[in-house]
Amino acid sequence: MRMRWNPIVKKDLQVTARSMRLSWGVFAYETVLTMAFLLALAVIQQESRSIYTTGNIYGYLIYLFPVLSIAQVCIVALIVPVITASSISGEKERQTFDIMLTTCMSPFSIVLGKVASAVLRILFFVMAGMPIMALAFVAGGLSWSYLFYFILTIILLSLLSGSIGILCSALCRRSITAVVLSYVFYFFIYILTFLPVILRALLTDGERMGESMLILLINPFIFFEEFFMQLMTGESLFGASGSNFTRGEVGFITYNLSQGKVWLFLSAACILTLSILFMLAAAWKVNPMHSSSGKKRKK
Amino acid sequence: MLYINDLIKNYGSFTAVNHLSLHIPEGDLFGFVGPNGAGKTTTIRIVCGLLRASGGTVRIGNTAAAVGSKEMKRLIGYVPDFFGVYDNLKVREYMDLYGSMYGMYSRDIAKLTDDLLELVNLSDKKEVYVDTLSRGMKQRLCVARALLHNPSLLILDEPSSGLDPRARVEMKELLKNLHSMGKTIVISSHILSELSEMCNSIGIMNQGRLLTAGRIEDVMKQIAGGNRMRIQIASGMETAQRILKEQAGVKIESVRENEILILSNCTDQAVNAFIGLMIQNQVILTGFYKEEGSLETLFMQLTGGGAQ
Ligand SMILES: Nc1ncnc2c1ncn2[C@@H]1O[C@H](COP(=O)(O)OP(=O)(O)OP(=O)(O)O)[C@@H](O)[C@H]1O
Ligand SMILES: [Mg+2]
Repeated sequence: MRMRWNPIVKKDLQVTARSMRLSWGVFAYETVLTMAFLLALAVIQQESRSIYTTGNIYGYLIYLFPVLSIAQVCIVALIVPVITASSISGEKERQTFDIMLTTCMSPFSIVLGKVASAVLRILFFVMAGMPIMALAFVAGGLSWSYLFYFILTIILLSLLSGSIGILCSALCRRSITAVVLSYVFYFFIYILTFLPVILRALLTDGERMGESMLILLINPFIFFEEFFMQLMTGESLFGASGSNFTRGEVGFITYNLSQGKVWLFLSAACILTLSILFMLAAAWKVNPMHSSSGKKRKK
Repeated sequence: MLYINDLIKNYGSFTAVNHLSLHIPEGDLFGFVGPNGAGKTTTIRIVCGLLRASGGTVRIGNTAAAVGSKEMKRLIGYVPDFFGVYDNLKVREYMDLYGSMYGMYSRDIAKLTDDLLELVNLSDKKEVYVDTLSRGMKQRLCVARALLHNPSLLILDEPSSGLDPRARVEMKELLKNLHSMGKTIVISSHILSELSEMCNSIGIMNQGRLLTAGRIEDVMKQIAGGNRMRIQIASGMETAQRILKEQAGVKIESVRENEILILSNCTDQAVNAFIGLMIQNQVILTGFYKEEGSLETLFMQLTGGGAQ
């Protein structure tokens, strides 16, 4: 049994490599990253002078890591949905999707191929940015393993963003609507998940949070905050904001999750599960045997 | 080969395919004819697993595979009525892409691609980008693509729409060629003359119903009873019309200056009798022709009747 590429991944990579989009994409990505780097450097230099130290800025360069990482996380979160949201609806617009569905590709492998090719394309960008990232390590003295963890989290994030995009792509007939819809999904996952916590805090003066924080397990903001907290300080976000919660303040489950690295791993698992659910939903929607009346075809 | 049984497709309250039953034997070149909106594409899409039927069954060969299953898809090669191609992809890579979607290995695909491109006359375009091909070439490439996994049934939805006459002839030759190789082929079209030249069986569809289907000779025979006749008259036009109107089974289709076109399903004796009657009544006949039953007339008769 030979290992085989998903044909869609192979084709997508082949086609994007030939188009100008990849070159421009790398160019834009590196430009933004360089800007973030220079800005951070300027701030660090400023800081190191003002607090009247030895003028040795190397110790501060460690902060380049979170700055550059967060910049990349933001770019990735913003562009991946655009890639995948236009993938299935783009095939529909170009009228290539019907042929694809009559082949032996199962709807799930089509969806998986589309997401995988988006993740791989993003990894090109991230890899191209590695030399800049490496500066933070060489000069800042961080362990190399952090770089590896960082790539893993980027893959996780692009998987989530990609699966949101693909679901919207399966739901919409036009690519533009799909992109807009993915940002609506973003709003739900990134912003609305804070709602229970905020409501609970307002209602009980922050005294009794119960389990309202659990929904934040799927929030990538919190995931990355926790990730950087753990890397930079070795502490949990929940532990660092004052002492750990007392048992009375939060529910039993939340209390136990805020110990050690439990939250981080559980959150990663939740985000991964959510991505898979989105992809399954997209595959279900794409399967012609499931949609009841069939979509109106434009001619 | 292809058994369609009591197929129904509803869009809301609208019925696009209405209790369609059809059997296409192996090795046939079957023409699926019907006016716009008859439900041909809908039927084809159901067979290909792109649309869920509201009722009925579709079976291919002796397999019990369900519509839309992998086994079923492996048996069908489908060329849609409208399709696109990818930018930045070469013909060779295009074939490789679809071949690998059927789980074939690149080396086997490459070998087959050469043969198939030869067959559809695109050998010299192997390294050309697909989006730069002409419409006719894309159509032929799509046929080659549909043959890649060696399906037992090839379905083409309006393969000659948008093609110029020359490309049509080429497409027709290609299909005849495939037919002679023993492939079972289904073509939908509304260009009847084209189908009557190459198909050996046809089915006529209108408003979701299959009006008639069978060997082309048998279908033609059905119109033998409803022949169109052309009677040319030098004088005595009124008398002739009066006599014709009195005949049961004769319908006057049109009257021109010195010509009457009728549709009759009378016996030859009856025809003889009313022509004799005309001559007795001093009608001067200059010509009398029985028109060959063409697919067009059959089509007009059947679909016209359905619309009433
Ligand atoms: N998604 C849909 N929703 C509602 N009605 C539809 C849909 N798709 C097709 N129809 C209707 O079903 C009928 C049959 O359409 P179909 O495309 O099968 O016709 P056709 O025989 O292929 O015609 P043509 O020769 O124009 O291709 C038409 O009246 C069409 O309006
Ligand atoms: Mg059609």
